Amino acid sequence: MPRRRSCCAALILAALARAARAEAPLEALMRAFAAIRASRAAFVEEKEMPELDRPLLSRGTLSWQAPDRLEKRTTAPIEEVLRVEGDLLTLERPLQGTRQVLSLDRSPEIRPLVEAIRATLAGDLAALRRHYAVAFEGDPAGRWTLVLTPLSGRVLAAVQRVALTGRGAAILGVESQHGGGFTRMRIEPAR
Amino acid sequence: MRAPAGLRRLLPLLAVLALLGAANAAVLRAVGVTTDMAGFLPPPRSEASAFLLRELRTGAATTLLLVGIEGAPVPELARLSRALGEALRASGRFAFVGNGTEGIAEAEQELLFRHRYLLSPAVTPALFETPALRARLEALLDGLRGAASPLLARIGFADPVGAFVELLRAWTAGSTVALRAGVWFADPPPSGTGERALLIARTAATGLDTEAQREAVAALRAAFAAAEPAPGARLLVSGPGVFAAEAAAAIRADLAMISALSAALLAAFLLWRFRTPLMLLLAAVPLAAGVLAGATAVAAAFGEIHGAALGFGMTMLGVTADYPILLVTQRRPGESLAETARRVWPTLRLASLAAAAGLTAMVLSDVPGLAQLGLFAALGLPTSALVTRLLLPRLVPPAAGIEARALPPPLARALLALPRRRGVAWALLAGAALYLVAIGGPPAEDDLAALSPVPAAQRALDGELRRQLGAPDVGVLVALAAPTAEAALQGAERIGEALAPLVARGALGGLDLPSRYLPSERTQRARQAALPDAATLRARLAAAAAGLPFRPTAFDRFLADVEASRTLPPLTRADLAGGEAGSLLAARLAPLLAPLPDGRGWQALAVPNDLREPEALRAALAALRLPGLLVVEAKAETQALVDAATRQALLWCGVGAAIVLGLLAAGLGGPAAALRTAAPLAGAVLLTLAGLALLGERFALFHLVSLLLLAGVGMDYALFVARSAGEPVEERARALGSVVHCTLTTLLTFGLLAFCATPVLRAIGLTVAIGTACAAALAATLVPAARAPS
Repeated sequence: MPRRRSCCAALILAALARAARAEAPLEALMRAFAAIRASRAAFVEEKEMPELDRPLLSRGTLSWQAPDRLEKRTTAPIEEVLRVEGDLLTLERPLQGTRQVLSLDRSPEIRPLVEAIRATLAGDLAALRRHYAVAFEGDPAGRWTLVLTPLSGRVLAAVQRVALTGRGAAILGVESQHGGGFTRMRIEPAR
Repeated sequence: MRAPAGLRRLLPLLAVLALLGAANAAVLRAVGVTTDMAGFLPPPRSEASAFLLRELRTGAATTLLLVGIEGAPVPELARLSRALGEALRASGRFAFVGNGTEGIAEAEQELLFRHRYLLSPAVTPALFETPALRARLEALLDGLRGAASPLLARIGFADPVGAFVELLRAWTAGSTVALRAGVWFADPPPSGTGERALLIARTAATGLDTEAQREAVAALRAAFAAAEPAPGARLLVSGPGVFAAEAAAAIRADLAMISALSAALLAAFLLWRFRTPLMLLLAAVPLAAGVLAGATAVAAAFGEIHGAALGFGMTMLGVTADYPILLVTQRRPGESLAETARRVWPTLRLASLAAAAGLTAMVLSDVPGLAQLGLFAALGLPTSALVTRLLLPRLVPPAAGIEARALPPPLARALLALPRRRGVAWALLAGAALYLVAIGGPPAEDDLAALSPVPAAQRALDGELRRQLGAPDVGVLVALAAPTAEAALQGAERIGEALAPLVARGALGGLDLPSRYLPSERTQRARQAALPDAATLRARLAAAAAGLPFRPTAFDRFLADVEASRTLPPLTRADLAGGEAGSLLAARLAPLLAPLPDGRGWQALAVPNDLREPEALRAALAALRLPGLLVVEAKAETQALVDAATRQALLWCGVGAAIVLGLLAAGLGGPAAALRTAAPLAGAVLLTLAGLALLGERFALFHLVSLLLLAGVGMDYALFVARSAGEPVEERARALGSVVHCTLTTLLTFGLLAFCATPVLRAIGLTVAIGTACAAALAATLVPAARAPS
């Protein structure tokens, strides 16, 4: 049946081509992120929880240093430094004088939140895909949205969805949905 | 045709040897050989030593395996540790495996969470008052603003007072390991070898089950190999189970090496001196017969043989390998071997009876190992002598011209001239005695560990892994016996309260208690009583939350759980038994709370960590006046046990020496002759003690046992040389030749053990090597003057 075989081949080729087209912009975006070795930004975060009757607001700065160092420094209304480097997560509360160091592997509720931003900043698509089903929409050079759905059931129980929005190689917003609540972070890259 | 004919003539000898070998193998297979080191300790005389012996044999510490992985980068080490942890947990051989990855299972978390207001040390009446609640709610809100909010949101609303978090914190307090890449690592890393991942496992089988211990270690090594470690990655394992296996392996390796070397050298030596391989076979007959008699007697009397008693016993019977050599070398030209046997029998009989008598006294010792040793020698030595007298001459083919070469004339002349140098010998002995007095007697081994045949390197590794894992140094243990588990837990809580001030001021680093994991029912009920009723709590919570952005329903689960906790039956040890829900809690509790043997109640253990002021600890505990409380200083207590064992051995040796002197006096016709004969022997013991002290050896039980072998050997030398005094010069040269042959044979067998790495074997080798050389030289030098030719 030579005709049917060639027909199959054509179908597979078409599917592959479609896949490659869908992949290409995301890979282009990741390459653009990977080229940036360091960046800084300011953020405003808004947390909504079903147990609270109004959202909690906080602000601070984000800084990124390739290959794997990410720091989220909250300055108001509480002071807190969250630093991730390699597998280690350090959470410092200078006012309380507390400092916790833990391994990301042991914190399944925190790890995806960290990797959603860190792996994107690193342009590490493989790392992103280890934790999430990745859906990309938009233009890698212009406005885009990356919707991340956790792969593991245990993580999914805590975080249902993370959506990143951005323009070019800059993240402008992170929105995550967990339990009955939402966290929205608006990011302003520093010039 | 010559070879078959020669073989046929050797047939009786070979048949007897084969028979003895088979009988020995059968006896040892039929009778259990125990390896428990406690067999060489005296029975406990105090509560403390009874406790310690029990812990040494069956205590939780005996099921511990300490593991290190090193020699690779951190990620690879972490991967290996994780793979090892998973494999061990899946194997079912381990009650607990810790490497940092052990999460609390869902079911267990649920169990602990449900009982949090009964189990948590945070629960007090004040915790549920409005001011405390207000502070907690503000802290919760603060936390929710931070990065850990997803984690906090999960339990923060159900437990705003933080009882659960406090419960888990109390469990992990005092941990000294560092967490890297998700698993435990030594902190700081050991110098020289780089990073080291750490894992701790507790076998499900007891420490007494040596076979299960061996299998657990094998499973561990197999799991490591199955994880396909990167080249260079090494597995380090320690713990009592490993000790047993490694000690056996080390001894086997040492013995294989030494016995091959010794067999080759001995065969070459005997072949050279006697010009026939027959001598080697002859030397084996009395030894094999003696071992058979000794082992059978011990097996019949005790129902088992202690491995060390067997080993030491065979060492002591090593003297009987001299008997055939004495027999053959004492033969006069033209004399038949049977005639020689008849002629030397009185001396041989006296020598063997005296050697046996010296050891027999130990039969009365209440240290089982020593008693076995005594019985072994008491039957083995005379049996060997009898076999030499009666059986050996018949086994030698009549035509076999077995005869030793004469000593080289210069050596013979030098040996015969030795008595003229007796001044030097006395000076040497006086010097040795002075030296021993000056250093305050032979230095005694003060470490029980040195009694175990575990190589020092393995013991050092054990200490290092223990330190890195924060496994407590068991310098001081506090044990509490109580009629019930509940009473034991209540007692543990009182111990914890009494020692809390010491912890607070740094006199004590920390304390592990069973009540830390499972509070007594009394305490759990007291906490229940501290919980307010639903209406009160709801009102206080509303007051505390005023002005904060919490919805009115935010803490519904908390309110419901507190209400449920007020009537929850307390969690007891019985609830943890069986089922996965309480497995981690049960595993942590097991080493600290266990039933006493024979249903005599329960025992709680309190394990102090980094104790700086033992006196303060004793005083604080004494003030409690708790019945059944025992403070055990492990080191001092084991030292006392070892000292008692050594004192006993020395005592029975002294009694033995007196019996020997009596026997010699009877056999030689007077105490003066007995003392003269015993003088070279006593001198050899003195020189050996001085020599060992000079070499830096610390005196332990093995040295003593080796001295007993030396005493047996030296007795032969002294008796045979003394017997020839006053005889013609050829007869005296023949006697000296016998002694030289015997000495060299002993050096080539037991002396070679001095090159072993295993402390026991090395101690035996060194003692025997120094001792036999001295005994032979002194026997030749201090020949009784009265009968020496002018």
